[in-house]
Amino acid sequence: MDAVWIIITGFLVASSTGMLGNLLLLRKMSMMGDALSHAVLPGIVIAYLISGSRASLPLLLGAIIMGVLTTFLIQFFSSKGKMQGDAAMGTVFTFLFAVGVILVTKFAGQADIDADCVLHGELAFVPLQQTTYLGFSAPNAVWTLAALFIFIQGVFWAGYKGWILTSFNPEYAKSVGIRTALWHYALMAATSVATVVSFESVGAILVIAFLVVPAATAYLLTKDLQWMVALIILQGLLSSVGGYFLSDFLEASISGSMAVVSFILFAAAFLLKKKEG
Amino acid sequence: MDILLKYLSLEDPNVRYVVIAIVLLGGMSGTVGSFNFLRKKTLVGETVAHSMLPGVLIAFLLSGVKNPAVMILGAAISGWMSIWVVDYITQQSKIKGDSALAIVLSSFFGLGIVLLTMIQSRYTGNQSGLDHYIFGNAAAMTPEDSVAFASVSLVVLGLIIASYWSIKAIIFNPDYAQSIGISRRKTDTLISIITILTISVGIKAVGIVMMSALLIIPPTAARFWTDRLIPMLVISGIFGSLGGWIGAFVSYSQTNMPTGPWTIVSVSIIAFISMLFAPKKGIVYQRWNKLQLRRRINEENLLKAAVQSEVRGKGKLFTRTTINERQFFESKLWNRTIGRLTSKGLVRKVHGGYTLSTSGRNYGADIDRRHKIWEVYLQRRMQMSVHLVHDEAETMEHFLTPEIEGEILRELGLCSRFNPLLEIHEIIPDPDLA
Repeated sequence: MDAVWIIITGFLVASSTGMLGNLLLLRKMSMMGDALSHAVLPGIVIAYLISGSRASLPLLLGAIIMGVLTTFLIQFFSSKGKMQGDAAMGTVFTFLFAVGVILVTKFAGQADIDADCVLHGELAFVPLQQTTYLGFSAPNAVWTLAALFIFIQGVFWAGYKGWILTSFNPEYAKSVGIRTALWHYALMAATSVATVVSFESVGAILVIAFLVVPAATAYLLTKDLQWMVALIILQGLLSSVGGYFLSDFLEASISGSMAVVSFILFAAAFLLKKKEG
Repeated sequence: MDILLKYLSLEDPNVRYVVIAIVLLGGMSGTVGSFNFLRKKTLVGETVAHSMLPGVLIAFLLSGVKNPAVMILGAAISGWMSIWVVDYITQQSKIKGDSALAIVLSSFFGLGIVLLTMIQSRYTGNQSGLDHYIFGNAAAMTPEDSVAFASVSLVVLGLIIASYWSIKAIIFNPDYAQSIGISRRKTDTLISIITILTISVGIKAVGIVMMSALLIIPPTAARFWTDRLIPMLVISGIFGSLGGWIGAFVSYSQTNMPTGPWTIVSVSIIAFISMLFAPKKGIVYQRWNKLQLRRRINEENLLKAAVQSEVRGKGKLFTRTTINERQFFESKLWNRTIGRLTSKGLVRKVHGGYTLSTSGRNYGADIDRRHKIWEVYLQRRMQMSVHLVHDEAETMEHFLTPEIEGEILRELGLCSRFNPLLEIHEIIPDPDLA
């Protein structure tokens, strides 16, 4: 049963972050996922320190605030400060990450946090803590991630038309009066929420991998957004199952193995497309 | 204060190696990062740094020892492979550079974590400290590490000096550079080599993320101070070293403070200060400049309006009400503008209003004259309609220099003593009268 819960956890993370990664990819801002997953660190630490618990409402709030703040700072540095776009992003997220690491080291004794646990969550521990809701017992992480999955699906499909317009044709969207900046901030906030919720159970590496790799694989194989979503979810399933067995075989990190399997699937799609083209 | 002196004197051998290593590393990454910055490939360092983890671990697995030279070699090889894979993906598929960077970063790092956990579950004892490659541990710098840093920075410096001209040409004018036989690929390869060398020695000291930050932030800060390549390289190197020096000091003087993150916070603060206060490009300077320009335009508009009402025989005395017939001034703006003009001696306050001084009258007449000259120019040379030229000229009158004015007059075949106040109005209908 533990294996099933771990695979379900991986799958939920893959399909939630993958949907957002899809939008990031279409907007040519995949590295923004990497940036956000680093930049939320101080938000997580401060929320931990204030609330003293993990996976709580303050934590989410901290993440959203940091996500929006990061986006705002990058925007500010590149437009008002006239920094080169990629340099503004690099400066902001590495600075915030450094602040986060300093806070972690400083307060490591006081709160139940250390850099390793924040950055390299361990999937193997997922089944340990279980809660029963509605007469059904499941690990805490699965409950939270299921909520995240529903939230992300809601955000994605409710704004489907807006996402399509602002991702594929931002100039046109702007000209018909859609507030593209608002959509941009909404995507960034959703990405930070997904990052933070997933962090705890799977760690940063898998979040970044699942943000970009499934979306890129799907993008290679199809142009249709709905097919892309289907492929992303399928890849999430395959890489969590494959990753679990790979890690079992190698006696290695489950998150890392899932990331590796995910890349193998990408490589397969890449070679397939290359032969065709 | 004692602690600062002790730090400065470098008498404690532990501090000595840390400071030497971090200052060298900061300088080297600042300089090398500038090339990536100018090639607009700032985030390559982030991917390369993350991708070095599997290489370091494979080097350890194969050699069984934690020899710095072997680990650096392993790091360099896997860093090189990551750049190759990114290039291959972008060239052979429709995936863009940005996504390719993120894919390679997360996959290589994921592989690194797999290897790290494999090693940890199999080996006991001599594997400890391998995770320093993720977060860095400057305090563990050994004399051997300092030697490695010094020799790598010499090699990097040598490579930069030897190929300075081709790098410069490729950065600033790639098409021209290629036409005179400089290979773009070779130069890009060279930039990759020095980037990989720097990162591969640096990650153990400051960790992966801090290493990529050291390549990004110092050049970003330096760019605010100069437009030239050599000063940029030097300033960026100095900022990197300074950040490292401050970071090492904070870590030395406070307990439980890591060197790497404090180095990054220090260079970030340098970058923020540069962005705000650098001459010419800083936000404060630019704001101030804009404010000055707005003030000058308001002053010139007021003087021009006063001259125009004089010319139309409405008397030398003017007030806000009479000026507002030609140029609207809100009362706050009026007070501020007239105050500045009075203190500059261009306008005199008299009973019942204001009057122009001689210099004020000349200044206002100059502006009016430039306005009219630009109107004539637009009409004759640009074939613009009479009704459109006025608005254009409203802006241009503030920016025409005497040199341009002279050139336009020559171009139009008018003599320089040509007085538009008397003559142009026969050609151009005044918008107020029309």
